[in-house]
Parts: sequence; C-alpha cells; structure tokens
Amino acid sequence: MTRELITGNAAAAWGARLARADYLPAFPITPQTEIIETIARWSGEGVMDCRMVMMESEHSMITAAGAAAATGVRVYTATSSQGLLYGMEMLYTVAGWRAPFVMANVSRGLAAPITLESDHNDILAARDSGFLQIHCATCQEVLDVTLMAYRLAEDRRVRLPVIVNLDGFYLSFTREPVNIPGQDAVDAFLPAFDPGPATFRAGHPVSQAVAVLGGAPYSYFRYETALAAQAALDVYAAIGADFFARFGRRHGALERYRCEDAEIVFFMMGSFSTKAKEAVDRMREDGVPVGLLRLCMLRPFPTELLRSALTGKRAVAVIDQNLSMGKGGILHTEITSALYGYRNAPPIVTSFVGGLGGRDISIEEFFEIAAINRRASETGEIPPPRLLYTDTELREIRKLQAIAHVERQEEIVP
Amino acid sequence: MYRIRFHGRGGQGMKTASRILGTAFFIEGFEVQDAQRYGAERRGAPIFAYVRADRTAIHERGVIGRPDLVVVADDTLVPVSAAGVMQGIGPDTVLLIDSAESEKTWRERLNLQGPILVLPRLIPLEPSEMAYVGTECAAAAACLTGIISLASVRQAVQQELAYMKAGVVDRNVEIASGAFARMAAHSGIVQEGGTTSHHDRTVPSWVDLPADDIGESSPAIYGAATSVAVRTGLWRSMRPVVDTSRCNRCTWICGSFCPDSAIARGSEGYPQIDLDHCKGCMICVAQCPPHAIVAIPEAEAVAQEKEGAAS
Amino acid sequence: MTEARFQRMKDLPSTHLLGAGTAMCAGCGGLAAVTEVYDVLGENTVFVNAAGCMTLLSVYPFTPFRGSWLYTAMASAPAGAQGVRDALDILRAKGRITPEEDLQVVVLSGDGAAGGIGLSATSAAIDRGLDFIYLCYDNEGYGNTGQQTSSATPHGALTATDALRSGFAGWKKDLFAIWVANKPAYAATVIGGEPLDLARKLEKARSMDGPRMILALAPCPAGWGYDPEHSVEIARLAVKTGIWPLKEYADGETVHTRLPHPRQPVENYLKLQGRFAHLFEPARDEPRLKEIQDAVDAYWAPLEAEHAGG
Repeated sequence: MTRELITGNAAAAWGARLARADYLPAFPITPQTEIIETIARWSGEGVMDCRMVMMESEHSMITAAGAAAATGVRVYTATSSQGLLYGMEMLYTVAGWRAPFVMANVSRGLAAPITLESDHNDILAARDSGFLQIHCATCQEVLDVTLMAYRLAEDRRVRLPVIVNLDGFYLSFTREPVNIPGQDAVDAFLPAFDPGPATFRAGHPVSQAVAVLGGAPYSYFRYETALAAQAALDVYAAIGADFFARFGRRHGALERYRCEDAEIVFFMMGSFSTKAKEAVDRMREDGVPVGLLRLCMLRPFPTELLRSALTGKRAVAVIDQNLSMGKGGILHTEITSALYGYRNAPPIVTSFVGGLGGRDISIEEFFEIAAINRRASETGEIPPPRLLYTDTELREIRKLQAIAHVERQEEIVP
Repeated sequence: MYRIRFHGRGGQGMKTASRILGTAFFIEGFEVQDAQRYGAERRGAPIFAYVRADRTAIHERGVIGRPDLVVVADDTLVPVSAAGVMQGIGPDTVLLIDSAESEKTWRERLNLQGPILVLPRLIPLEPSEMAYVGTECAAAAACLTGIISLASVRQAVQQELAYMKAGVVDRNVEIASGAFARMAAHSGIVQEGGTTSHHDRTVPSWVDLPADDIGESSPAIYGAATSVAVRTGLWRSMRPVVDTSRCNRCTWICGSFCPDSAIARGSEGYPQIDLDHCKGCMICVAQCPPHAIVAIPEAEAVAQEKEGAAS
Repeated sequence: MTEARFQRMKDLPSTHLLGAGTAMCAGCGGLAAVTEVYDVLGENTVFVNAAGCMTLLSVYPFTPFRGSWLYTAMASAPAGAQGVRDALDILRAKGRITPEEDLQVVVLSGDGAAGGIGLSATSAAIDRGLDFIYLCYDNEGYGNTGQQTSSATPHGALTATDALRSGFAGWKKDLFAIWVANKPAYAATVIGGEPLDLARKLEKARSMDGPRMILALAPCPAGWGYDPEHSVEIARLAVKTGIWPLKEYADGETVHTRLPHPRQPVENYLKLQGRFAHLFEPARDEPRLKEIQDAVDAYWAPLEAEHAGG
C-alpha cells in the first residue's frame, strides 16, 4: 500500500487498474478525459493489461461496454454530463441486458447554457436507468468505491452496471491524499469476473436482450431488474463490511456525521458534503446540535437506513445541487417520499438548491440554513424552497446582461 | 490550516507550483488538497491554483476565499481585476510578488496593511523558461511557511517533474533551491489561518430571483461583437512592434494572417496593432515579408512607454 | 474453403440453418437474404442487431438462431459488434477461451439504421478496422414502422411520408459507395433472389478479416405494395433492369459480378410495385419514368461501353 496525492480522476483510474479491468471503450469529455488518458498511458507502459478503444460517441461507448461485459470481460468506462445524456438510450438498454460493468461519471452541469463545472443534474437524469449509483465525497472514496462497485455489479444477485459518481473540478481535478491498496490485497477482495452462462461462445448459443411482446413478460423482466437493484442494498452492506475488514475504511449507502445527538441534519450528496462537515464542526464548537447525513447510494435508495438515521430529528435541511424544472430539488423529493407516513419522521424537511454549475456554497450559508431549520422546528412552519443566491451575484448578472444588450424590463418590486 | 493561492498566466506552471507545494507539505506529514482552477487555461491568460494543508483531514473545498499567502508569478496581473489576485486579501495575508520592482513600490501602489514581499527575478523571462516560474514560486512559498525543509521542496520538485528530462528537472531543483534561499530571511512569516466562527457569523444576503421577461432570462446576446470588451491583450508576454522604416505597408498580409482581427491599416498605410486585443502570437512577425515587425518582451515595451511618457 | 464451394444452384444447402417460426412478413426479401447468409456463415456467429424489422427475429422465448444474438439499438449496432469482438479477442489473448470458442461477429441492420442514425457508428467501426461483417437488408424505407421514407428510398417511390402522387423527390443514397470510400476489406451488393451470387460473395467475405459489408436489396411486399409471391420475380427484375447492380469491392477495385444483357427497361421492375403505380396510372408519367431510366442508363453506360469494346 502507498499513500499518494492524486486527483479524483486518477483515483478512478487506479480503481479500474486495481480491479484489473480488461477493456475500456472511451470517448473524451471534460472533466473526465484525464481518466481515460491515465489508463491509456498505463496500458501503453504495460503496467495495466487493458485494451482501450476510442469510440465515436458515448452512445457507442456504452453499447460497446455493455456488449463486452455481456461477452464476459471486465469493463470500465467513464463519461460526464452531455456525454452521459448522449448515451442515455444505452444506459437503460445495457442495464436491461444485466451486463455488469463500472462507469465513472464526473458530474458536470447540463446545457443550456453549457458549462464545464459541476452539479448533479447529469447523474440524476440517469436515476431511473437501472444503473446503480454510488456518489463520492473524497478522492479516496472514488478509488475504494470503484473496487466495491465491481463486486456489487458482478454479484449474481445483482448483475447490474454501476455508476460511480464524482464531482467535476471539486474532485476530478483536486488532489488529496489517497491510500492505494496493494494489488494482492485487491485481488483477494475482488476475484476475477465470472460471467456465468450468458456469454457468447461457439457451441453455446445464447440470444440476449430479446424483444418481448405484451406487458406481462415485459413487466416480469423489468421488475426482476428492480428486485436485483433492491437486493443490491444488502449485498453492498456485506461488501462494505468485507472492505472495512480488509482495508479499514468504511463505505456504505449512507454516511452519518455527528448525527447521533443532532437535532438538525443536513442531507446532501457529493463532495460539497465535506463543506457541510466543516460547518457542522464549527456549529458544534458553538454548541449547536447539528449533523450531516450524506447519501452515498442513490440507487438503490436506502429508505430503511434513512428512516432510522433520521428518527427523532427535529428538522432535515435538504441541499440539492440539481434542479427539476417545475418541481425543485430532486433529493428533496426522494427523501420526503421515503419519510412520508413513517411514524418517527422529522416534522420539518426543508429544501435548498445550491451549487448549480459549480457555484460555491459558503460556510455562512450552511450556518444560515441551520438557523432557518431551527426556527422552522420551533414554529412548525416549513419555509418555502430557497435558491442559494446572493444579491451580489444578481448584481453581477445585471452587469453581464447590460453587456449582452439586454433591454431590462421594469423591475417589478412586490 | 494553510491556505495558499498562486496567480500567474497559462504557461507559467501555476498548476505545477500548487503541486510542488502540495507535495512538499505532504512529505512534511500534512494532509493536503491542491487544485488548479481550470476554464481559461489558454497560454498567457490569467490563471490560478491553490493549496490547503493541515494536520487533520481537510473538509473545505473549492477556491480559497481567505488566503494566508498569495503568490503572484506575473506582476502585471496585480492590477487586473479579472485575474482576482487581490480577492480576499486580509490584514494577515502575505502577498509575494515575483517582480523586478521593489517592495516599497508595491506597498505604495497597493496600500495594503499586510506584509508584501518581492521575489526578485532570478532568471530572464524567456518564453521557453516560463514554466520555471512555477517552481520558483512554489519553493519561495514553502520557505515562507517556515515548516517545510529545503530537502522536502527538492524532493517535491523531483517527484512532480519526474516526467521531464533529467536536465530540466535538475535546473528546476536548482531554481527551487535558489528561490528558497532568497526567502530565508522571511521564513515563517506565513501563519496558518483559523476557522470561520459560527458565533460571529455573517448572514448571507440571499435574494429571491425575480421571474424575468424571456428577453432577459435566456442566455442570448442581443448585440454584435460584444467580445471586443474582453481585453485579451493582457495575455501577451511578447509585443509585436512595427519598424516603419522597413515596412512596405502591405497590411493585407499581416492583417489577413492575424487571427484576432488586431491589425488594421493605419492612416499612413502602416499596420496599426490593437494592443488591447493582440494576444502576442507573433504570426505577423513571422509572416512580414520585409521583417519589419519585431517581437519585444511586453515588460520592456511597457517600461519604454513609461519612459516616453515621463520624458 | 473457397468461393468454388458454390458452383451451381444445387451446391446450395437444401436445409437451412436459420430456424423457421419468425415474425417476418410472408415473402420477406430481407429474411430470404438473412437465411441465405446464415447458411454460408454458419452457427459460429453472433448477430448484433440494430433496431428495425429484424428486431422481431427473436421474440422471447423464440429465436431462429443456432448461434448467438444480441439486440442493441438503432444507432449503435457496430459499437455492439466492437464490444463483442474486442471482448472475444481479450478472452483469447488472456487464454480464457479457446480459439474454437471464437465467433464471427455480424451486424444486422436495416437501411434506415445503416444510412441514417447508425451511419456514424458504422463509419467509425470501419475507421477502427473492426473485424466484422455488416449485413444490411435494404427494403428502401423504415419498414418496421410502416415504410416511411429513409435515405435508401428510391426516386419516385410512394412511402407513408411521401404519399402524394409524385412520391419521393430525392434519390437513393449510395451506401455501397460510402463504404467503398472508407476502404473496407470487402463490400458487396447481393439480393436473395440471386442465391448463388450471394453465396459466393458471403463465402469470400467469410474468409477475410476486417470490415466487410453485404448490402442486400430486400423486396418488401408490405412496403413496396405487391403480393408476396412476386418477391423473387421482383428481385430478379431489379438485377435484370440494372436498377440493382450486383458488384463487389476488394483490394481497391469494384467489379460487377453480373452485367445484365440485354438490360430490360426499368419500368418492367417498377410496374409490378404499388409504390410506383402512380407512374403508370391513371396516365403514364413519362418525364418521371424517363428520369429513372436515364439514371440507370447513366450508371451502366461506361460499363457497357467497356464491355462492348473489350
């Protein structure tokens, strides 16, 4: 084992390397490209026995990834943002093939307007695809979870592709100290891929991904996929226990940070949740009982774990780095549907949208979010959803609009 | 926690600077986070990178708002507000400027309470040696913290530049050692910054976004060539200068090849170079048939202009 | 094995490998081509299918294949072939399968996917030198959705989206020429109604490596508007009138495998099909018929001149 300063992208590539991925169909997109370049370099140097092929689009890339996994090799691939959406048809398709492989998504906001910086609307668009989703908050987690994701994807009770998500810039291009486990230790944790009978071999005919006629067979196959996704919760917990026993680091579907005696809990996912940890520490110093609950696994959704973690809390502040037009924060929808009707659910669940397109969330904003939730828990009134956006930012936009020759309408002051 | 920001131009090795300093901290046993701010990493364009180092796990992320040390690799960036050099500089922030001008000059010019140091140029800024500036800045910054040994800096340089040729690595190690030594008198001047207090917090000035008219609320520009407001002339490290005694006034040549529409035909038929937008690519220098356009270092040109103005 | 395997019609297999019982229309010219192709390629194949009529070859739990099959999507069957081919190569290189377990990878695509939504994936697979056979059944329209105009629809044909009397105003895209421009290992046009020509070309393609394309005109009773019994007759007329030239490309050269002589007037082919009925009734559309005949004549003129001269 070594401990090195590496970027989130390098950590992802290390995960693929230590997992002994056989095959990498690739297509470049910022901020992901460093992953495929790193693996290409390692393959060229001969330190990684992985065949890389440059595809002409993410749609083709995901097709090739699924087809190779269905043929029985261990596949790794990576994308981001527009690329993930360009491949969207194939996300659903290869998940339906039950082809297990691991794909990194380096989160980046979606067009339009096009941007390079991070938020979670890309990965959330893939929420219902059948890919399982694990969201990382540190570079270490990117490496560890990539290894765990192969165990999860290839488990016969699951057999589904897994997306490991890391935030663009905040993880992808940021170096942090990462423990890189030894190959022998990883080999002991992650055995070679056993594809089972559904592979293409002469003398063993198999027709895969066959059409169905009628709703009943369709429903059967789709629901079996859903059951496999559900089963992934327990499988992942067991994999996490084994990983902890071998490597001493714990990764689960949820991370609780100073939650036990917390009255107010931040709920979020991705690398910005470490900012919330900093805010929690500062508030704790000042005697404010707050905690952080980080959603690490979005699919399958850990409903029971979430309920138990939030039992008896006074308020939950959901911070969404995404936006569903005409609805609001997507995690807020996810958590409220999981809590509704649960006897011990927190009475207050508030919604904040921030960090869109890489917009920072300041520690003062976390403080204020906690304060709003404290007041709400005292009055029992849930405040309306809030976009984290300052008057300074709006003034800057007005300046940009002036340069863009925008004719401002009269400001309507309510 | 140490929070350190490096400002320079694309091509000056600011990412390398942050990596060398990050690795040096790491060798000293610190937890580290380093990153480059990507986006406009065009050669010559303002760019920055940053390092956080602490003895426990680092939870902060993203751009450093309140730096303990700001290192400026190119002093022409200091007054450029778009470069963000002065952002978040407080009374305890150390400002280290790689500059030929004195500390006194900078103190008068900037009117800052905090300490200002100058890292005198050791090497001439040949374009081919631009990337060494990053190494120089990283080593100087390491020295200012007072907790990083020269040995760690040298090891960090070797580690981060391992992909380069041996001679280049040796030259960088030499430059790092020199910069470290030149800052020795100020070793330890940079102090770790504290945390943000919850007790004395400020409340963010959030605003409810108005639902603007569609004419305003889509990313559309209703004018032509608004990009001329962007002064890409700031990217330039070399300036093309026309020697009218040799110029044939064939401006259709230099003017056609200029990719940035920065050469026009002047009143007497000589090329007129738009220095607000010339990025310093030097295509005009290369293509001029009578070799009447010469490239001179931007700093030299600016100095000459000042002399001209003074006399 | 060489192409000498198929000298006469009686050399062709009398029992077919592809199982009966598929959902293809009665008289489907595409299915005829696929059946003949499968007889030559054999069961050590994996068909990677693009969305189209042939999606319904395998409907759970029924498959006609004695080898393997993978259904992908309309745009990316060549990418699926890339994944399967690469995986098989990796497995062989790493000793996880024996050479005997290896398979020939075949893309099966309609003209809609081949010339439109899937063209980029196809072009890229050729760029990468993918070792695969690309089999396109060309029924000259989006057949599975009810024969809308595709890039392969011929001039003047009525389709569900060009249903007015004048038919499709554009001209059929030359997919063979597009492939040849990409310098594949092999490309050939075939038709199920000329099984000997088809078998010889498949035998040749089978023996080669790299990107290989088989473009089969697929007479379509439902989409072209004729009774299923006329499928073979129409296929033969396509060849005899010269509207569907049989040819192959290899080693940088295109050679015609059949020179229709004497070449029949193209209207003999057109008048059997409902999609061209408006060219004859209520009155003959002479300008349009001439346009079509002129295009066919222009295609053959240099070849016929060469033939007459040599």
